[in-house]
Formats: sequence, C-alpha cells, structure tokens
Amino acid sequence: MADNEKEKKAQKQEKPRFTTVDAAILDLCNNVEIPEITCWDRTKKQSPRCSFGEKGICCRICSMGPCRVDESREKLKYGVCGVDSNTVAARNFIRMIAGGAAAHSDHARAGAETFLAAAKGEAPGYAIKDEQKLLQLAMDFDVSVGDRSVQDIAIEVGEKGMGIFGEQFGPIPLTKRAPLKRQKLWAEQGMLPRGVDREIVEIMHRTHIGVDMDPVNLMQQGSRAAIADGWGGSMLATELQDIMFGTPVPILGRSNLGVLEKEQVNIVIHGHEPSLSEMIVAVVQDPEMIERAKQKGAQGINLAGICCTANEILMRHGVPLAGNFLQQEMAIITGAVDAMVVDVQCLMGSLPRVAECFHTKVITTNYRAKIPGATHIQFEEHDAVETAKKIVRAAIDNFPNRKEVYIPDVECDLIGGFSHETINYLLGGMFRASYKPLNDNIINGRILGVAGVVGCNNVKCEHDAGHIDLVKELIANNVLVLQTGCSAVACAKAGLMLPEAAAKYAGPGLAEVCETVGIPPVLHMGSCVDNSRILMAATAMVKQGGLGDDISGLPVAGAAPEWMSEKAISIGHYFVASGVYTVFGTTWPTTGASELTDLLFNGYEEITGGKWDFALESNVQAQKMIDHIKKKREALGIEKARKRILYDMAMRRELDAG
Amino acid sequence: MVDEKKVKKESWTGEDVEVLGETYAEGKPDTPVLWRKKFKNREEMLKYLKSGERYWFSDDWYGSEKRKTPA
Ligand code: SF4
Repeated sequence: MADNEKEKKAQKQEKPRFTTVDAAILDLCNNVEIPEITCWDRTKKQSPRCSFGEKGICCRICSMGPCRVDESREKLKYGVCGVDSNTVAARNFIRMIAGGAAAHSDHARAGAETFLAAAKGEAPGYAIKDEQKLLQLAMDFDVSVGDRSVQDIAIEVGEKGMGIFGEQFGPIPLTKRAPLKRQKLWAEQGMLPRGVDREIVEIMHRTHIGVDMDPVNLMQQGSRAAIADGWGGSMLATELQDIMFGTPVPILGRSNLGVLEKEQVNIVIHGHEPSLSEMIVAVVQDPEMIERAKQKGAQGINLAGICCTANEILMRHGVPLAGNFLQQEMAIITGAVDAMVVDVQCLMGSLPRVAECFHTKVITTNYRAKIPGATHIQFEEHDAVETAKKIVRAAIDNFPNRKEVYIPDVECDLIGGFSHETINYLLGGMFRASYKPLNDNIINGRILGVAGVVGCNNVKCEHDAGHIDLVKELIANNVLVLQTGCSAVACAKAGLMLPEAAAKYAGPGLAEVCETVGIPPVLHMGSCVDNSRILMAATAMVKQGGLGDDISGLPVAGAAPEWMSEKAISIGHYFVASGVYTVFGTTWPTTGASELTDLLFNGYEEITGGKWDFALESNVQAQKMIDHIKKKREALGIEKARKRILYDMAMRRELDAG
Repeated sequence: MVDEKKVKKESWTGEDVEVLGETYAEGKPDTPVLWRKKFKNREEMLKYLKSGERYWFSDDWYGSEKRKTPA
C-alpha cells in the first residue's frame, strides 16, 4: 500500500465517533458506554453514499428508472424519457421546496385549526393572549375591527387564515407586507403565490414524468411555492401562534443537556408545533401533577425541549433548551429523560430503539407522525388539557423505572424572545418604536450589515461547529446576526446569545450598539417558521428608508451552514426569491447539473436580486457573506461613511493639528 | 430616577473625559420584559400599530416608499 494511502486510512480511522463540538455530548460519551445506536453510527454504516443521489442527478420519478444522469458521460447524458441532468436536478430541487413548504404550511394549517376552535370557544385552555397582534393580522386580512368583540374578529381572522391554503387565484394577502418594489417584481416574474396548496400541487404536477422539463420554468414555480411558504404558511404560523400564545419578548433561558434534573421527572418536548407543548407547560405546574411526581420519588417535574418546539416554548416561557436536532438521541442516553414527547418534523425513527436501551417512554402525539415502537397518545385540541395530563402522568409513572443516570454538567444561559415587534420596540421605545437606530448604525458603519444564520444540524459535518464558527466570524466583523431553529440552539449553547458576548466576540462598532441598546450581538428570533420574522425585520429596514427600496439592496445575507432538511431548501429559496444572498454549507443538491447550478448561483440575481451560494468552510462562508454585504454598502454609497468614521485617534490629532 | 452611570473615555482631542454611560439595566432579565402588556385598551393598541408598526399601518407610505404608489 502506498504511503499516502496508508496515511489517509489512518486519518480516517482516527476520526472520532461523535463529530461534534458540543461539550455535553463529548462529556456524555466519555462517561457512558453508548451502544452503536446513534445517528453517527448509522452514518458510518451508510457510507459511501451514491454520488448520483448526492449530486441531485438520480431520478426515480417513474418506473422506467431509476435513471442516473451524468452530463460528463456521453452514455449517461439522458434518462430513459429523454431528460438531461438539469431537468432531473431542477425537478428534484423543487420537489424539496414542495416538501419543505408543505411541512411549514401544514404546521400553519394545524395552528389555524386550533386558533379557529379557540376563537369559537371549542378548545378549552386556549385563548387570544395578544389582542394587539390579532388586530394587526385583522388589518392584513381586511377584517374590520371597530368595536367588534375579540372573539368575532378572531373567528373571521381564523377563517381568512385557513383561506390562504385553498385560495385559487391569490395573491396570498401576507405577501402585501413585502416592500412594494418586491411585490411588483414578483408580479412581473409570475412568482406571486396564489394559494399555498395550489403551488405545492402544481410542483407535483409539473415534476411528474413528461410535464415541465425547462429548468428555468421549473424554478419559477419553485420560487412561487417557496414564497407561498415564507410569506404565507410560515408567516401565518408565526402570527397565529403569537396571537394565541403571546408575541415573544426578551426572556432568560438555559441551554444544553445540563438542564435535565437528576431528582426530577424530566419531560422533553421535541418537534415543531407548540399547541400541545403550551398545554404541557401549564399542566406540569398543576399541584396534582407535582404531588404525583413526589409520590413516585421525584422532587418535581422538569420540562425541557429539543428542536423548534423547544424554541417556541423558550421564546414564550423560558423553558430550557435541552439541545438541537443531533441531541435528541443523546438526551435519551443520559438515562434521565422519563418521557420524550414528540409532535411533527425532524424526529428520528431510532428514538424508540434508543429508548429501549434506557428507560425513556417515547410518546407520539400527532396522527401525522407516528413512529413504530413508540406509544401514541393523540393530541386533541378540543380536549388539550386532558391530553397533556395523560402525557405528563405517563412520564411521572415512568420515573421509578430509571436505570443509570448521567447528566453532563454542561449548560449555558441565553436571552431569547427577539420577535420583530420586540426588536422594533427595543430600538426605539414605546413612543418611537423604530428600525431607525439600526439603519443609522448601518449607515454610519458601526454595524456592517445583518445576517440571518438559520437551519438544521447535519451529521455529515461537525455538529454545531459550522454555526458557531460562522456566527463568531460575522459578529467579529460587526455583522448583527439574527437566528432561528437548531442554528440558534447551537449559538445559545456557545454563549453567543448573552449581552456580554458583545464585548467578548463582537467587533467594536457592533459591540457599542449592543451595549447601548442592551442586546446580545446574536438575536434568537424563534423556530424555523419564525424565519418569517426575519423577512419582517428586513422589510422594516427597507421601509424605514436610507438603505434602498428593496430587500435585494440591503447589506444583508443569509446562511444555513449545517442544513439537511427539505424545509431548509424551501426557507433558503424564499430568501433568495425575496432578494437575499444565501449561502449553504455541508452539501449542495444540484452539483451534477452545471446549468441549473449556474442559474441558482448566478442567474437568479438577475431574476430576483437574490442568489444561492455554497461553501464548505465557515471562514469562506463568512467571507462570501461579508463581501456581499460590502458590495451592497458600496452600491448604497455608504461604504465611504464607514471609512471616515474609522479614523483613529492619531489621525484625528493630525487633522486637528493641520 | 435611576443613578446615571458615568464612564471615562478619551475625547477627540485625546483628553480623558467623563461621559454618560449606557442606560440599560445590567444583567439578565429575571422576568420577561412584558412591554406588550402596557397597552391598556384597543384604542392604544391601534394607535401603536399606526406609530410603532407604521411601516405597514400608517396612513402614509413610510420611509423608502413615501413617494411610491402601491404595487
Ligand atoms: S422520469 Fe425519466 S429520468 Fe426519471 S426515472 Fe423516469 S425515465 Fe428516468
């Protein structure tokens, strides 16, 4: 064997079993004998991957396939039906958008159903908590307010909300929140979404064998569906949840596996929809439940969350984050989780098998998301309190079954709750709420720009490292970072969501602004449907003035360094379709289709003003984002202002002397 | 009124001067910052929409869109 081959082999063997920078996971694997049941073990077993699948050029849409289409090999240039790699990859790509948009929007639909039931008084336990936000949505939906009762308004708002899914002609009313120029561009490009369901169905039709084969035309429909997600389904989910459960305000939270309590019944809520978890938050405080826990030998009940359900209940109640996507199995491995209660999305099919090795009860609660081996307790919004009690009782009764427990002593505080409304309020106050201070500080150069860093974890890369390294690099360069999803959880665990992080990690300009306003340099804006809050913040920046008249002109950029889900592709694409330069890491699903990749990475800038990009390393991603932000600053003519401000003291003295 | 915090900084001319420091409350919030509970009635809520959320709800188009006709 050649020397370098031996070296390569040795390096491969040295690769640690758990590729993560998370101190809790590293501590856990040093102290617990972990059977080969984790996603890291399965990843190893699944390697090497099919390169056609990885490059987006494997088609299995009809039974004449699967076809492996390769533009670089003459004999594999076309699939059996005659399409080339660009068509195959474009169809696969927009099917990912359809999957992601469907997930966010079906989440929104479930929320709208609960909202409507609550408004009609048919869902005891739920109420309209934020009347002001209800009025806001009523105005968006042209629902008259006057002196009508909250209930009346809520019923009409709920019905109009449900309407955005089945609407045939559109446009979806919430798209009217976008900057005027953006709305005009969407209309001109045929991208204004009609109804959410219609756009998703049309993707499935167009990508059926023998229908749409033009990558540009396919991507236009992908864009329309993605906009229906961001400015439709996702935005509606955020708004209805805020009305029912409260618009998030700054709140102290804790993060990482160390939030689990050895002496208490630990219930971990995992998934994405907050309707049930909101009820569990209320029920665990019920004296009857606490008494039951004590009877079983526990000191009390501790609630924690994983993934976006965690973000939802952190933002509104300060319930601690046990971890992000790649920590769901690890939470069970602590032996301290008495029940893992899951709703929808990003659940691992392995949870019941991992639980079997420990003692955790995995409870599915949604008829749309059952897992073989789990206990199913159906969540009924009409009887939510009883459902929540049943689940909490099951967790308490499982406490005496615990075996060995090891909870890593690793946790970190964070401040969450930065809704768009709260940022607006914090920047300007009750009587002059405004994005003006943000825009002014961008114009005067203290803040270079704004970045949205969002998305998942992916076991193909080093867990959390991509998020943390990128965000640290951005804030060091005076870029204010807005976060959601598992990316937010990663940075919370790294201590980046505390006001003191500004002095420690941010560049001097950003640190000064953060200290003045009293905010961290990295703002937790919520779950993945709450990326709609970032769209609102970007729109407010445009409408405030001074930074151009469209999102595409702003010195902003987006990234999902550890993305893995179809939802991430839909989110990324609605940012691109809204005019944002968006960089993904880890892997890119169209690399086998050169023309399509060129369209997404270059051509789209001419169509929507936004475009995709891809880079593996965090520093390259950061540099690309910073370069883009600087390009936009130059186009706005504000790069000069920054240069003037950065005169140092010696230069100023020289000027004075002159 | 809370005590004003003074901090020492270097002035443009290089002298040490005492200036007013940051005015936000230090530390972490023990309880959520419940600013939305300040609205007393619907009138105040609607008024805030027209001012605080004026980018969308003011009668005039705002900022960059002041002089534009709706799309
Ligand atoms: S649709 Fe075409 S490329 Fe895809 S599997 Fe069928 S024959 Fe092959």
